[in-house]
Amino acid sequence: MIRFDNVTMAYDKKARPALDSVSIEVERGEFAFLVGPSGSGKSTFLRLVLREDRATAGAVFVAGQNVAKLSSWRVPRLRRGIGVVFQDFRLLPQKTVFANVAFAMQVIGKNRSVIRETVPEVLKTVGLEGMGHRMPHELSGGEQQRVAIARAVVNRPGILLADEPTGNLDPTTSQGIMQVLDKINQNGTTVVMATHDDDIVNSMRKRVIELGKGRVVRDEAKALYTSMMPVVPSRRSEQGRLRERVTTPAGLGEEEN
Amino acid sequence: MRLAFILGEIASGLRRNLAMVVSVILVTFVSLTFVGAAGMLQLQINQMKGYWYDRVQVAIFLCGPGSSAAGCSGGAVTPDQQKSIQALLASPAVAQYVNDYHFESQAEAYQHFKEQFANSPIVDSVTPDQLPSSFRINLKDPEKYQIISETFSSRPGVETVIDQRQLLERLFSVMNGASFVAIVIAAVMIVCAILLIGTTIRLSAFSRRRETGIMRLVGASKLVIQLPFVLEGVIAAVVGAVLASATLWAVARFFLGDVLAKQYPDTAFISPTQALMLSPLLIGLGVILAGTSSMLTLRRYLKV
Ligand SMILES: Nc1ncnc2c1ncn2[C@@H]1O[C@H](COP(=O)(O)OP(=O)(O)OP(=O)(O)O)[C@@H](O)[C@H]1O
Ligand SMILES: [Mg+2]
Repeated sequence: MIRFDNVTMAYDKKARPALDSVSIEVERGEFAFLVGPSGSGKSTFLRLVLREDRATAGAVFVAGQNVAKLSSWRVPRLRRGIGVVFQDFRLLPQKTVFANVAFAMQVIGKNRSVIRETVPEVLKTVGLEGMGHRMPHELSGGEQQRVAIARAVVNRPGILLADEPTGNLDPTTSQGIMQVLDKINQNGTTVVMATHDDDIVNSMRKRVIELGKGRVVRDEAKALYTSMMPVVPSRRSEQGRLRERVTTPAGLGEEEN
Repeated sequence: MRLAFILGEIASGLRRNLAMVVSVILVTFVSLTFVGAAGMLQLQINQMKGYWYDRVQVAIFLCGPGSSAAGCSGGAVTPDQQKSIQALLASPAVAQYVNDYHFESQAEAYQHFKEQFANSPIVDSVTPDQLPSSFRINLKDPEKYQIISETFSSRPGVETVIDQRQLLERLFSVMNGASFVAIVIAAVMIVCAILLIGTTIRLSAFSRRRETGIMRLVGASKLVIQLPFVLEGVIAAVVGAVLASATLWAVARFFLGDVLAKQYPDTAFISPTQALMLSPLLIGLGVILAGTSSMLTLRRYLKV
């Protein structure tokens, strides 16, 4: 569903690239966590999938299409197939919950009757049944994030990208959000979630892709936030050593070169 | 659905940005009014050319008792002198250029003078013997004025030869100058309008950046994202253009039609309908101005 072929992304020619020869494939229907320290390139990874930016080198494929080759008028169609959720919810404060979710359908030209039918269904999926008339400021953070998720999936995208969706929420609320994301994943949507939240990663036991300084340092199925493998040093260790040791002996290097 | 949505976006944009939108309307209104004024002056010039060029004549003014011109040293024109001038006019050398001519006596000149200045107190202070008699000549080709002038101006008894067309040309050049000034003012105002529309659209895009950001993410097309902004500018400019057209119509109807037409009854002024014919031009100009300046602004300030 998402494939990175030797992708390098350098925002600034002089600085270290935000992503450095990353090769990763996320299958259709998969749930993958993207972890790693701040600045390791998680958000950059998601931006490349959305074609917010184009990779400096290498190719990004989404649903079989090389996104860099899309002409600009086709980019909207790519984005209709991808839902996005952020740490800061990004709801429209003047619109009700219903209107916020409906907005995503209106702007791509869905007709009114479809909207009236679909929005309540999606609100139910995210656990906000009957709250369509509320304004965003009348909701808790967790509820607001559910609205954002509803808006991201209301057009039934094949992919859901979440950039630290639980970053502003307490652990219990975060668990609730994870249940919603899991449910959406169960319905067949591919989910990629960038996070710093170790409790959540540990409790979900999904695939974990760990980035460090723009490189993939770990890619493990049903994994924990920190690797169980002895060869991977603790996150406190000196960065130069970390790269050397994990890229070779960790043995997960099929994606590396 | 999408249309209803876009219309809703436009309405909310206009409401949020009301003060800016009003200033865009006023600036386009003023600038297009100046464009229209220049247009009306040109129409008026054409109208007057059409009306007058057939009627204007070359006038050979004959010496009166008080004439001080060089050719009048012998005092007022004598009947002999007048006859020889008339004979020359009828001679083949001159007649080939002349359509027809007639003699205007001092009494007739006084009569015309009274009609022309009916509204002016000057009439009371003029007597018939102060006005010269003249031959009025209608030329086949008005450009041949020079020949008539050379032939007659040094004849005894001739005070001066005047090409009325030249007087008209002088009037037209004043009007052309006025329309040039109007165009210069219009150009400055149009620059203002372009900058103001750009700024307005930029503010509007900024105040709605959350919405447009989300539209982008959920895959709204460039058209749906940008159209409300472009139309916002275009609608404001069209309102300005309509106001400008209404102003031109009012000027033609009330100022030209009621005030000037009474003062100059023998002048054909342009009609309100003719003034309204400028309106599509103004609206088109407004749309182009607003459309291009908002599109250029959006290309820089609104990511899609
Ligand atoms: N638009 C940009 N222009 C220039 N540099 C950027 C830009 N976005 C990100 N970077 C740089 O790229 C690197 C990776 O940033 P990125 O946002 O992908 O990290 P991250 O893993 O998402 O971090 P965090 O966990 O803090 O969100 C950083 O060094 C950052 O400074
Ligand atoms: Mg980030």
